[in-house]
Amino acid sequence: MHNLYFAGVDVGSLSTDVCIIDQSGKVFSEMVMPTGVNGSEAAERAFDASLKQADLTRTDISAITATGYGRASVAFATGKTTEISCHGVGAHQLFPKTGTVIDIGGQDSKVIQVDTHGRMLDFAMNDKCAAGTGRFLEVMANRLELDLDELSNPLNIKGESAPISSTCTVFAESEVISLLAKNTPREEIVHGLQRSIVNRIWGMVTSIGIQGEVTLTGGVAHNRGLVALLEAKLGLSLNIPDNPQTVGALGGAHIACRAYHSTLESSTT
Amino acid sequence: MNLSIPERSEYLKILSDSDQKIMGVLPALYPRELLWAFDLHAAEIWDPPGDILHANAHLQTTICPVVKKSLEFILKEPDVINTGYLFPHTCDSLQNLGTQVKDLIGVSLPVYTFYNPKGSFNNTTTKYYREILQNFQSMLEVSYGTLDSEKLQAACLLGHRIDSRLMDIQEARQTDRLLLGNQEYFQLMRAQEYLLPKDYMSLLEQVEILDQPSEGAKARILVSGILPPSPQILDFLDKLGVSIVADDLLAGSRRLPKFPMDPPDSPLDYLTDRFFILPPCSTRGGDLDERLHQLNKRSKSSKAQGVLFDLVKFCEPELFDHRLLVKTLREQKIPVLTLETELDSHLSGQDKTRIEAFIELLFEMVPR
Repeated sequence: MHNLYFAGVDVGSLSTDVCIIDQSGKVFSEMVMPTGVNGSEAAERAFDASLKQADLTRTDISAITATGYGRASVAFATGKTTEISCHGVGAHQLFPKTGTVIDIGGQDSKVIQVDTHGRMLDFAMNDKCAAGTGRFLEVMANRLELDLDELSNPLNIKGESAPISSTCTVFAESEVISLLAKNTPREEIVHGLQRSIVNRIWGMVTSIGIQGEVTLTGGVAHNRGLVALLEAKLGLSLNIPDNPQTVGALGGAHIACRAYHSTLESSTT
Repeated sequence: MNLSIPERSEYLKILSDSDQKIMGVLPALYPRELLWAFDLHAAEIWDPPGDILHANAHLQTTICPVVKKSLEFILKEPDVINTGYLFPHTCDSLQNLGTQVKDLIGVSLPVYTFYNPKGSFNNTTTKYYREILQNFQSMLEVSYGTLDSEKLQAACLLGHRIDSRLMDIQEARQTDRLLLGNQEYFQLMRAQEYLLPKDYMSLLEQVEILDQPSEGAKARILVSGILPPSPQILDFLDKLGVSIVADDLLAGSRRLPKFPMDPPDSPLDYLTDRFFILPPCSTRGGDLDERLHQLNKRSKSSKAQGVLFDLVKFCEPELFDHRLLVKTLREQKIPVLTLETELDSHLSGQDKTRIEAFIELLFEMVPR
């Protein structure tokens, strides 16, 4: 029997991510590209690049799940699923004991409880403000004239931290400007920003609770300082994927695979 | 099924042009039959269209959009409202708005207030309610002459017929015997806010109730909150194949008695009894356990698989109840989704994602 391939295409606000797997779940390609202003074109571009990386053509792909805020714009997808479900399935594939997923995305953040198949049981989502998201860190990095890597330096979590609002990105940026004007050390400001995101996540965690192992997804999982603070706040170790940005796309690819076989089974019975 | 429901502003304009006396009524509970008996038409103001501009000069930013939009509407002194405004004591914000409009801002039309009792049925609250009904009657008599008791009796009978028909329609909705999508169903419910009672009764009589259940919707949910979800949300739910089979809305079933009443004998007794058998409500300081009980009961009878809370931003009474309701429903393993909306706001991509994710959760749409 020839190999069957499945893809997940996650069109997010900042990046478009693609993952291609075969029916055994082996990953053949992971691609992250900026979304830009046109989600549809970004999906085409990232999918083609991913196919090239995997040395495959479009006809080799049996099913494709589109996810992310731009999922409706992916014309070539065979199915659409929200990123909330996709992150649950993706995190479960990487860490099978995952009971809770914390996804800090570009424009929103989510806490998702999943069952033993990675299927969502409950979720909380923050989207009223970019506070507590990847975009928040981008804005602040720009204001502090740091790149995102510099903003992710692990800090002594007991070190000094500047007080920064966790409710509004615009207010927080004003606070950062005031702190800079007072010559507050940048590392204290960075620490304060990371603490601000952690406090925002904590609010969602307390609303639905934590169960099982906790997996952190989304690009912000690269921020080591924030991960350390979040682990201290939760009192546990987080599972951090090697490629936290593509977990949604990975989940999408697995959902495409499950849906393909489920349709096949129902058509043969 | 296509119901012909007149558009609100056009309908009120036609009434006003034909010299119908129209009173602008703020949400939510007021003795409508008493107004009808004085030939006054109660046109409710919940979410009048238009941007909020001038009202912001009089109100704090943390006041709910129902209050802000109502004030914006009142400040324009619209021609269709030609006899006055009535402010029931639904919440502190609306009560204060009544005072502000009457004593501070000042409008050319009279302003009436109606202070509904808070708390449950007992001797004191019923006695109080009877008194405020009589006071309200006396206030109206100053402007509109002595109340004709036969007219009040007829108004109560018409109100009773409307309630009975609405109960039948609600029951049919829960049991899939109504061929109306979410959008149409809530247009029908909200038409009572501005149609003359006789026109509304005619409309209700046009609604076809099937003898047998039709093919049920793919997904069934109960919606709770103040106002029905926005037309954009209702349309989105229709497209997803999700049916709102029951509600716990202030602008919906919380204005309908919990059980059928006998036809009115003594009008004031009838109005008093009716008020105290309305379902528990956050705006009346109702018993939260009883509200939860009603919510569970309605959820079971309609076979709803989850509860959608659609909250109006800064609605304090509802927000006080919401936290405990959600906590208890979650403990009972009933899926819950909360949306917080501002009136007139579009349906954001994030809200679409929340709703779709909720549907995926309810129907285990992700294969194992």
